Amino acid sequence: MDNHLIKTENVKKIYKDNGVEVEAVRGISLSIMPGEFSALVGPSGSGKTTFLNIISGLDTPTSGDVWLDGKLISQMKGKELSDFRRDHIGFIFQSYNLIPVLTVEENVEYIMLLQGVPKKERHDRVMEILSEVGLQDYAHRLPTKLSGGQQQRVAIARAMVSKPDLILADEPTANLDSKTGAELLEMMKELNHKKGMTFLFSTHDKMIMEQARRVITLKDGLLS
Amino acid sequence: MWFYMKLAWRNILRNKRRTIIAGISIGIGLAAVLLHAAVTKGMISSMITTTTSSFIGDAQIHQNRFRDTQDVEKTISNLDDVVQKLKHEPLVSNFTLRTISMGMISSPANVNAALLVGINPETEQNLSLFDEAIKYGKGDFFKGTNPRDIVIGSKMAEILEVGLGDRIVVTVAQVKTGDLSQEMFRISGIYHFGIKSLDANMMFIRLPRAQEMLGIPGQVHQIAIKFHDTRTALNPNLPFWKTYSANSNEAVSWITLMPQLDMMLKMSAFGTLIIIIILGALVTFGIINVLFMSLYERMFEFGVLRAVGTRPGGIRKLIILEAGALGLISIAIGITIGFLITFILIKTGLDYRGIEMGGMVFQDLLYPEIEWWHYVVYPIGVLVFTVLVGLYPAWVGGRMRISDAIRKSL
Repeated sequence: MDNHLIKTENVKKIYKDNGVEVEAVRGISLSIMPGEFSALVGPSGSGKTTFLNIISGLDTPTSGDVWLDGKLISQMKGKELSDFRRDHIGFIFQSYNLIPVLTVEENVEYIMLLQGVPKKERHDRVMEILSEVGLQDYAHRLPTKLSGGQQQRVAIARAMVSKPDLILADEPTANLDSKTGAELLEMMKELNHKKGMTFLFSTHDKMIMEQARRVITLKDGLLS
Repeated sequence: MWFYMKLAWRNILRNKRRTIIAGISIGIGLAAVLLHAAVTKGMISSMITTTTSSFIGDAQIHQNRFRDTQDVEKTISNLDDVVQKLKHEPLVSNFTLRTISMGMISSPANVNAALLVGINPETEQNLSLFDEAIKYGKGDFFKGTNPRDIVIGSKMAEILEVGLGDRIVVTVAQVKTGDLSQEMFRISGIYHFGIKSLDANMMFIRLPRAQEMLGIPGQVHQIAIKFHDTRTALNPNLPFWKTYSANSNEAVSWITLMPQLDMMLKMSAFGTLIIIIILGALVTFGIINVLFMSLYERMFEFGVLRAVGTRPGGIRKLIILEAGALGLISIAIGITIGFLITFILIKTGLDYRGIEMGGMVFQDLLYPEIEWWHYVVYPIGVLVFTVLVGLYPAWVGGRMRISDAIRKSL
């Protein structure tokens, strides 16, 4: 177990939808090793969103355990869980989801601000990561002044700047044209390779499935 | 904290139209409170001034229990000493001596019971407004030298069916013997206050004539006093009261003399409180509405903030700071609107003339009065209030389920 970055054991999640119990995840046991570049795929309703929420600590399983970096996160709550997410998980959302009133630099530095990183170090690291994603000249722009591809680059920079153990990316290329999507995927692959960060994608994008070193398929709340 | 303040400020300015509309609605509430406070203050000042300057004065000295019994035997003790002291009293600007007794006034047409006030016209003019009220009536206020001049109110003249220059007979009981003393007077002035109690029930003659009729030469029942600063009378611990409440005399302020006016002033303060509560309740829903609209509109964004590691307390802090930012904008709008309207009304005045309140009638235009603390306390109140109202949306925001908030994505 010590070598696994993520390990889930018989994770189940049951929702109540209008009084009717819905078993979204029906007992998933999965291990992901550090440095993996994996894709979680499956049709709509297969439970991949619910499973990702549980892995990332955004939701709690009805039963079963989730370990991240050896820590049992399925039992964490409140501040402890918030701090754990902040320090160990980076998120890339489908619609970029940058804070529109913050500049590119402020968006990227936000997590480090929560971590209490000194201002000078924050600035240096932000500029370094923006340089890596090719946006060093856009630091003082608002996200609304950027293209979709540029916004997603900022989101990637934000996810990576605090050097998390795991980056969860939900359909990161869904709102981008295929050329921009390919460029971003290539960039993430390179970062994975250079920095050894673990990427787990939730996707329908064939390009990501082809590039992923491992494809995990979900169907009806179970691994298939 | 600085970062959250910056974020809150930018967020609140994000939807400028909504923020300005909310700010105006809250600001109008604040402006209404500021305006009401200024008008009330002006009204109170006007009421106090009118009341104290029309007849009562800021303070009065009597013999003990004279006020309760109106017993004409109770003249002021050691009058000469008291008068000498008052002449050198630094707080006092003017004072006048009066006899007060009940009498009958009769004309060929009618008869009426009224308060006969013996006055010194020269000092009385510095203290009361009867000489001014003559302007609204007829004749003059003891400008002639006839010792048989009498000044009566317009309502009394109507009852007695008399006019300027007509003769009437005044009857009083002598203090020591109880014998009736009757004198004929000529009406030299008819005043008009517009207050029925003053216009119908008082008659004025010169002090020596009154003392003679009552059989109390050199004695008076009342000394009415005007302070340099009317507010002096509001201090219940003023040594003045003790100094002149000696030798069976009592010195009291207009607050004691006019308890109904004091009650009116307290009711005005209570009225302000009621207005603040009503406006506060209306504003509460406005603030909650804006904050919840903003919260639900940005739920996904808050979800993202939570996902990347913001603690629930951070979200609560942000929403409360946004409420505070909305409060600051509202205060700026409210102070501007409130000050402008008040300033205009200070220049133009409010026409309350002829309106009776608390036993007095406003004679002049009413001018609102600005007090600096209104512009400190009420805005701070709005800020504290908006922040307190923001606690509820903040609590809701802090309790959001992240997975629900970002359901559209992960």
